[in-house]
Amino acid sequence: MEAFKFIQKKTIIHILDPRTKLLLAIIYSILAIIFEEIFILFFVFLSLFPFILAGQLFKKWIKSIRGMTFLFLLLIIFNTLFSTFSRSISMIIRIMIMVSSFSLFFLTVHPDDLMLSLLSLKVPYNIAFSFSLSFRFVPTIAIEAQNIIDAQKSRGYEMEQGGLISQARNLIPLLIPLIVCSLKRAFHIAESLDSRAFGSTKNRTYYYSIKYAKKDWLLTIILISLFIFGVIVKIFPEFLPTWFYWKLKV
Amino acid sequence: MNLIEFQNFCFRYDHSEDFVLKDININIDSGKFILMCGITGSGKTSLVRAMNGLIPQFYHGEIKGNVLVKGKNTKNVPTSTLSRDVGLVFQNPENQLIAMNVEREIAFGPENIGVPWDEMDSRIKECIKITDIEHLRKKAPFEISGGEQQRVAIASILALQPEIIIFDEPTSLLDPKSAIQILNLLKKILLEKKVSTIIVIEHRLDIVLPLADEIILVDKGRILEQGEAHNVINGEKFLNSGVNIPKCVSVFQQLMNQNIFSGKLPISIEETKNLINSIK
Amino acid sequence: MEKKLEDLQILVNNLTYHYPDGTIALKGVNLNIYSGEIVGIMGKNGAGKSTLIKTFNGLLKPTTGVVYIENDEVNNVLMSKLTKKVGIVFQNPDLQLFANTVEDEIRFSLKNLNFTKIELENQISLTLEKFKLKKFQNRTPFTLSGGEKKRLAIASIMCRNPEIIVFDEPTIGQDAEGVKFIRNLIKEKHSEGKTIIIVTHDIEFAIDNIPRTILMADGLIIADGPTNKILSQDQILNIGYLISPQLIILSKFLIDLKIKVPEDVYIKENMVQFLGSYFKDKMGITEGGKP
Repeated sequence: MEAFKFIQKKTIIHILDPRTKLLLAIIYSILAIIFEEIFILFFVFLSLFPFILAGQLFKKWIKSIRGMTFLFLLLIIFNTLFSTFSRSISMIIRIMIMVSSFSLFFLTVHPDDLMLSLLSLKVPYNIAFSFSLSFRFVPTIAIEAQNIIDAQKSRGYEMEQGGLISQARNLIPLLIPLIVCSLKRAFHIAESLDSRAFGSTKNRTYYYSIKYAKKDWLLTIILISLFIFGVIVKIFPEFLPTWFYWKLKV
Repeated sequence: MNLIEFQNFCFRYDHSEDFVLKDININIDSGKFILMCGITGSGKTSLVRAMNGLIPQFYHGEIKGNVLVKGKNTKNVPTSTLSRDVGLVFQNPENQLIAMNVEREIAFGPENIGVPWDEMDSRIKECIKITDIEHLRKKAPFEISGGEQQRVAIASILALQPEIIIFDEPTSLLDPKSAIQILNLLKKILLEKKVSTIIVIEHRLDIVLPLADEIILVDKGRILEQGEAHNVINGEKFLNSGVNIPKCVSVFQQLMNQNIFSGKLPISIEETKNLINSIK
Repeated sequence: MEKKLEDLQILVNNLTYHYPDGTIALKGVNLNIYSGEIVGIMGKNGAGKSTLIKTFNGLLKPTTGVVYIENDEVNNVLMSKLTKKVGIVFQNPDLQLFANTVEDEIRFSLKNLNFTKIELENQISLTLEKFKLKKFQNRTPFTLSGGEKKRLAIASIMCRNPEIIVFDEPTIGQDAEGVKFIRNLIKEKHSEGKTIIIVTHDIEFAIDNIPRTILMADGLIIADGPTNKILSQDQILNIGYLISPQLIILSKFLIDLKIKVPEDVYIKENMVQFLGSYFKDKMGITEGGKP
C-alpha cells in the first residue's frame, strides 16, 4: 500500500496535471504488455527513471519494488517450470514497469485532484467523490484496525498457528469489530455529508481546478510519439537492430 | 421569529419498539447559546437529528407531529437543503473531515451549494480567520490535533453560513484546555453574529454552563425543562436528572439543604466568587 | 500509603519508544508504581500516554530502556503472561465486541487462561452477575445500549482478574450514573489490593478518585505527585493543557481573600463543611436557621 500513498512535495512531477500522469501510466503499461523482448522492455523501464528521480520518489520506489520480491520469485519459479527462464525475466520487467508507472501516478497526485481528473474524464461526481473519499479514509481505517488488534490482544487473543480453517476462524474477532466500526463510521460520514449540503444542487462549483499547462502538452506529445513509435516497432520488427531481439537460451 | 419549531413531535426508529422522542414542543429562537443536556440515552442526539431533517430522511421511522425549520417542514425539504439553515457538528471530527487538506475541507460545503469562486474564496478566508487556523491551511486532517480538527469542522460548517449550528458533544474527546477553547470559540461566533443561535450537547457541564443562556433538559425522550440557565439549574428537575452537576453548584446545593444558604445557585466559578464576596 | 520497595510492581527505566514510521513517542520515561496504588496519567493527546500503557502488557516492545512488571522484564516474557497480569480497558467497546452472545464475549476473554470447564462456566456466570449482565446473557452484544456495551467491555477484562488494571479514558461521555459505576469499580478493585492506572482528561474525576497523578508531555513525564498538587500548579497545567478543578480554583480564591482554609477543601464534602461554618460565622446564624 505504501507504494501508492500520496506525499505532498513540490517537484515538477507533482505539479504536472494528473491527466498527463495518468496518460503516462497507461502508455507505459501498454508498451509493457505488447512487448516481450528483454532489451526493449529494459529500455522502456530505464526511460521511467528520469520521472522517478525528478519526483524525488527513488526511496519509496525502491521500497515498493523490494516489497514485490516474493512475487518475482514465484514468477521465476513458475515461468521456468512451465515456460522459459527468459520469459520470467521479461515478465518481471513488465510488472516493474506497470507498478512503477502507476505508483508514480498515485504518489504524486493529490487524492482530491484525482477526483478532479476523473471528473474531467466525464466520470459522474458521486463516483469520483467516493473514490477520493476512500483514499482519505485509508489511514483512518488502518489506525482503527491496529486499535482492534490491540484491544483483542489485551484480552488474551492470540494469532494461533494452525490449518487454514482455524486461521480463518481466528480472524473473526478482528474482522467483526472492523466491519462494525467501519459501518458505523460510514453512517457518521454520510450523516455529516448530508449536513454539509452534499448533493443539494446540480450546479456544483469547484474551488480548485486542474489545468493543462505547456509542460503537460509537451509531455503528452512526447508520450504519444513514444507510443506511436512502439506500435510501429511492434508491427515492423526490422525497424530495430537485431540485437534488440536477443533472448536468453533458457 | 422561531428558527426551529417542534409541534407535538414524536419519533420511533424503524428498528426499535419504543418512541425515542415523545410529545416534543419546543421553540428555538435566535440570539442564544443553548445547552442541551440529559443522561445517556435520553434522546438528545435524536432530537438534534430531527432539527436538520436527518430524522426522518436519513433515519427512517414512525413520526407524529412536525418540525419546522424557518417555516420549512423537515419532512418535505431534504437535509442537504436544510443544511443552509442548520449546521451540525459531530463529536468525532475524524468522521466529518472528508478532504485531504483544510482549505478544501472548508470549500466543500460552499462547492455543494454552488457558491461562485470569488465568494467562496472570501468565505474560506473569513472562516479560517474566525476559527484561527491560518497555519493549518494546507495540512491534512490526520496531521493535526483533535482540537484543531474540531476547529476545521466548525470552519467548514460556518462556510455554509447557517443561522443555527448544533454541536453534538464537540469536546468530549479533547483535553480540558482545548475543550474550553472550542466552547469559547462557539461563544465568540455567536457574539460576533456569525450565526443566530448555537445549540450544544455537552456532558462536562462545569465548563459549558458559564456560557449557556438557555438550557433544554431532556429525559426519556421528553423535554423535562426549557428555560433561562439559572432558572433551570435551580430547579429540582435539573438537580435530580442524573447529569454531571458541577462541583460549585453541588456545594451550594448542599449548603442550601442545610439551610445555610438561600438564593440562586451559582452557575460558574465567577458567580461563586461573587457570592462569597457578597457575604464577606 | 507508605511505599515499600518490595511492593514495587511496575518499574520503567529510561524507556524510549519509536514507532516504525519514525515518530518518537517516548523519550526516556522513568516511573515506579507500587502495588495497590491508584495512579492517574494525564497530558494532552500525543504526549505518549497510550504508548506508555501499551508497553505494560506487551502490545509494544521498548525501543530502548526497560519495563519490569513485577519480576518480569517485558522483553523477556511471553505476551500471554503480561496480558494476564495487566488488563487494559480501552475506551471504545466497539473495538472488541464480536461474539454471538454476551456470554461468549466473556468466554473468549477466558480462553487461554487454562481454566477447567467447571471453573470456566463458574467464572463466566460470576462475571455476568457482578456486572449486571446476566439478563443479557444470550443476547448479541450489538443490541446492547452504549452503557451496557461499556460494562461488557470492562467485564471482559475484569473476568481475567488482572493484578494491574489500566483504564483508558473511562469517563468519556458518561453521565453521573456511568461515572459512579466507574468510581465504585475502582474503589472495589482498590480494596482487593489491585493496582489501578487511569489515563484520563477528566480533572474533576481525577481530583475525587485518584490520589497520585503523572503528567506527560512530549514523550516525557514532567510531573509526578499528589493529584491536588499537580492540578493546582499553573505551569504544569499549561504544559499539560489542563485546567484546575472547580474546588481548587475556589480554595485558591479563598486563600487570596486571606481566608484561612484547610488544605483538603478540594474535596466536596470538606468544602461544604468549611463554607458552611464560614457562612454561619459571617452571618451569625444559628444551627438550622436561615440568614
